[in-house]
Amino acid sequence: MMREEHGNVAPALISKGEDVGEIRVDIPYQLITILETIYSWVPKGKIAVITRRCDEKALAELTKRNYIDEKRIIKIGLACSKEQIAKCRCSDPVPSKVDIGEPNEPVPKDDLSERLAKLSPEERLKFWVKQFRKCNKCFACTHNCPVCFCDDCVLEERTFVPEQSIPPGLSFHMIRSYHMIDKCIECGECERSCPAEIPLLTLRKMLAKDMKEVYGYVPGDPKAVSPLNTTLEGETLEDECDEC
Amino acid sequence: MTDFRPTILAFCCNWCSYAGADLAGVSRLQMPPNVHVIRVMCSASVKPEYVIKALSQGIDGVLVLGCHIGDCHYMTGNHRTAKRMPLVQKVLKETGIDEKRMKLDWVSAAEGEKFQKVITDFVQDIQKLGPNPLREVKF
Ligand code: SF4
Ligand code: SF4
Ligand code: SF4
Repeated sequence: MMREEHGNVAPALISKGEDVGEIRVDIPYQLITILETIYSWVPKGKIAVITRRCDEKALAELTKRNYIDEKRIIKIGLACSKEQIAKCRCSDPVPSKVDIGEPNEPVPKDDLSERLAKLSPEERLKFWVKQFRKCNKCFACTHNCPVCFCDDCVLEERTFVPEQSIPPGLSFHMIRSYHMIDKCIECGECERSCPAEIPLLTLRKMLAKDMKEVYGYVPGDPKAVSPLNTTLEGETLEDECDEC
Repeated sequence: MTDFRPTILAFCCNWCSYAGADLAGVSRLQMPPNVHVIRVMCSASVKPEYVIKALSQGIDGVLVLGCHIGDCHYMTGNHRTAKRMPLVQKVLKETGIDEKRMKLDWVSAAEGEKFQKVITDFVQDIQKLGPNPLREVKF
């Protein structure tokens, strides 16, 4: 959960019987990224987590890959405020169980995505090249993403992304876009964390729309298998081998 | 753009498409010279990262060729390829690169002529598109 600390909002881990302090619900972090960190520190017992809709979906992506045991998690559903929803351009803001807050209407569209979709490919490329030139390869977008969980990140491999180069070029962002396409729950943490203010959430939203169009798939469902892990007939395949 | 000679990579799986390419060669079918064939064990070993990296470095077009669905040496390898490549095309499109610069097709070991046709058509398509704009983009 989050509480007020020195005038700021900070994540806090509280055990039984402890005073919770000034709880804040304007959460500026992805809580599931934090849960992933503390999960191994708390080897036994249950962990209660405030879950907005995006946290809940991130959790689903993790539990279905067995990174986190669902049975150990107690979800405290938080419905986001109108301001938060506007900031996130969120089309899906209400958790399955609301314990805190009042459900609010989603924001169905992202203005920048719509503007970009109308541009010619040349203009779109120009836009992204300009944006990606600001990237300093800090990896904040990957480290803070709740569903970026590979042990070995291909973006750190010089085979795919030029070594010692800042900005890292288009391949960095395109490969990450492809990797997130069946996992991204559109929480916007990458965009919030990006010191270069690259509109990463817009890119994610554009590709989420494509994913839905091509396979009718929306990440965040604890039961649905990614279409990248099924045959053309829809039978589940074994996990991909990353050895070669 | 008639004198534009695109540089094209064709990933061919060992069991079908590479054998198809071989047959096309042995049969002395005429083919455009600007295609570099890369033999891979299975079309599924063509990681999307390879396609993205090649195009982001200015390669004009990437072909991925595998066995027909149902004929994969590894049973479901080409199912994976079939699932992945349309999404790679979307990533290209959203970034502003024509998705036609990447093409997926199936060529069996007996289809020398189909191999010739796929290659020739693809080279023509890429000639129409012109050079990859990323050739000129420096980061
Ligand atoms: S993405 Fe949606 S659910 Fe998540 S914090 Fe923003 S408004 Fe709330
Ligand atoms: S919006 Fe960004 S941080 Fe959130 S899941 Fe998608 S890629 Fe990760
Ligand atoms: S957070 Fe922004 S600047 Fe940092 S690596 Fe990601 S895109 Fe680049």
